[in-house]
Amino acid sequence: MRQGATGFTAAAGTQRAPGRVGTLLLAPLVAWALLFVVAPAAIMLVYSFLERGTLGGVLWERATLENYAGVGNPVYLRIVLRSILYAGITTALCLAAGYPVAYLIGRANLRYRNLLLMAVMIPFWTSFLIRTYAWVTILKSQGFLNSSLLALGLIDQPFEMLYTPGAVIVGLVYTFLPFMILPIFTSVEKLDGALIEAALDLGAGPLRAFSRVIVPLTSPGISAGVLLVFVPALGIYAVNDILGGGRVDMIGNIIENQIKGNARNWPFGAALGTALLFSFAVAYYYVNRRQRVAEGRA
Amino acid sequence: MRRFEWMRWMAVAAFAALAACGGEEKPAAPAEGAASPAEPPAGGELNLFAWSEYLPQGVIDEFTAESGIVVNYEQYASNEEMLAKLTSGAVAYDLVQPSEYTVEAMVKEGLLLPLDKTKLLNLKNIGQEYYGRAHDPELTYSVPYMQGTVGIVANTEKIKQPVTSYAEVFQAKHEGRIVVLDDSREVVGWALASLGLDANDVTPENLEKAKPVLAKWLPLVKVYDSDSPKTALLNGDVDLGVVWSGEGAILINEGGGKFSYTLPSDGAHMFIDSLAIPKGAQNLAAAHQFIDYLLRPEVSVKISADFPYTNPNVEARKLLSEAERANAASYPPGSPKLTTFKDLGAAAADVDKLFTDMKAQSGS
Repeated sequence: MRQGATGFTAAAGTQRAPGRVGTLLLAPLVAWALLFVVAPAAIMLVYSFLERGTLGGVLWERATLENYAGVGNPVYLRIVLRSILYAGITTALCLAAGYPVAYLIGRANLRYRNLLLMAVMIPFWTSFLIRTYAWVTILKSQGFLNSSLLALGLIDQPFEMLYTPGAVIVGLVYTFLPFMILPIFTSVEKLDGALIEAALDLGAGPLRAFSRVIVPLTSPGISAGVLLVFVPALGIYAVNDILGGGRVDMIGNIIENQIKGNARNWPFGAALGTALLFSFAVAYYYVNRRQRVAEGRA
Repeated sequence: MRRFEWMRWMAVAAFAALAACGGEEKPAAPAEGAASPAEPPAGGELNLFAWSEYLPQGVIDEFTAESGIVVNYEQYASNEEMLAKLTSGAVAYDLVQPSEYTVEAMVKEGLLLPLDKTKLLNLKNIGQEYYGRAHDPELTYSVPYMQGTVGIVANTEKIKQPVTSYAEVFQAKHEGRIVVLDDSREVVGWALASLGLDANDVTPENLEKAKPVLAKWLPLVKVYDSDSPKTALLNGDVDLGVVWSGEGAILINEGGGKFSYTLPSDGAHMFIDSLAIPKGAQNLAAAHQFIDYLLRPEVSVKISADFPYTNPNVEARKLLSEAERANAASYPPGSPKLTTFKDLGAAAADVDKLFTDMKAQSGS
């Protein structure tokens, strides 16, 4: 990794090690992470190598790789790939829709900035499930959208929207959009306007200034947003059940069904979860590396 | 910079975990303040673990008012979820509500305590037909709470011909107009029944036979929903459904007469959800008292009013209104062919895999 090429990485590279007080302040976070992140992940990893118990749970008799053979089964592999596709489309749409919004909020007059930011966060005041069910009311065949379109004469019979892949994507984008806007906003807010002016003064067109100056400088926000959207979008299953009618399973549905459904196959669920966690790790690694490369070049 | 890498990592992982949990609303434990201000005269607390949407809060509140026993009501959405939480041992539940195949499995594994029938004076209200069933013939461990079936609901404004069998539901002309339970055991069971096979006879050969049936059926389905299949029917997004009888009964009541409920002639699934006391229960006295309270005809009939399944309490049935008794979903006429599920053991995973596989192939 090339360091010190810009003020950015240099500052990050020379960050002081936390002192004793700092370490102490970190302790609750570390304990929380160990207890609720590392320990469950470790249990999941161990379970993924065990055998299925008759009433759910696991048998401790012997270790097996069978569960991972199941993960590689085309049936489940196809579901994993489809989940990645849905999460990818969701991330791309969130980025396309969220970046301009984040940019406008970040560059807005300070007086309006907090107000706009509040508007992004207001949906969080209501339960995620209620907001998703609200989409059912909008999208159903005799719903708000169809009756509006019919009244306007734009369509002459109800358009099938609910229980389609499109409805799932709409629900996912709606759910995760704020997670894209907020980190990008943070990057945009820190953006030095003088650098953009300099780019324009030195002959870069608006497009070039955007792609060579603005995007690289906001890339930490972009990669954070991409991760915050892609990772949970890959695992979520409620949106798929409610808006997609459960017609195609997502990987989250399959895992749920191993624990809470008929299958009662915890080790297989754990193996799927471990595989998912592993793919998160890979995704994180690549995004992070790209970001470092981008920073190095800037 | 590297130093903080792992923390960002964890933040992301924790976030993912939180988001994944978002699919389920945790029922809040009843506030302590809900108890009578004075010390409860007897009994203390009862940890009840029961199906969601199956027990009216009013019935619980009246029990607390009468007995002073505080009921901590936690809910689950599947037998398997209940088993998972029960066997984890995190909470000592005093009373659970398993379906018959789960009663069978729990008895087999020694997870249920025999009931003290001297404390269940109202047990006599349970109909004779609920004795002699394979999962618990003498009602040693379980008391029937509600019985239900899985049958065909049709919107008769849209579906003109009678639909009386699985094959008639899953016809090409009904494509995109069908809601079914999102439940592998159910759907695979229907396929077996339509072939004249026993829904409990889950052998690799029979599953192989069910495969082409499912390959034909599943592409026709518009919605899979076990929680509230009535919603899609009420909204007019589908016209046909194979759903729980309780949902069917509500549709008959609320649909303005346009919904019909028919048990498939090839053989329908019948379930009996029971009350049972799990091993490790702390308050046996309160658990028995609550079961006996629910067995009172005047209490049981209130449950029927909210959740119109078939009430196994014959004394309570006498208190039902004419309309309630005439509801074909709650009290199916005639003598239909009904099958209860048996515990499948390890084969449950095979059934689930087949369903997942066929569903994945049917989807776009």
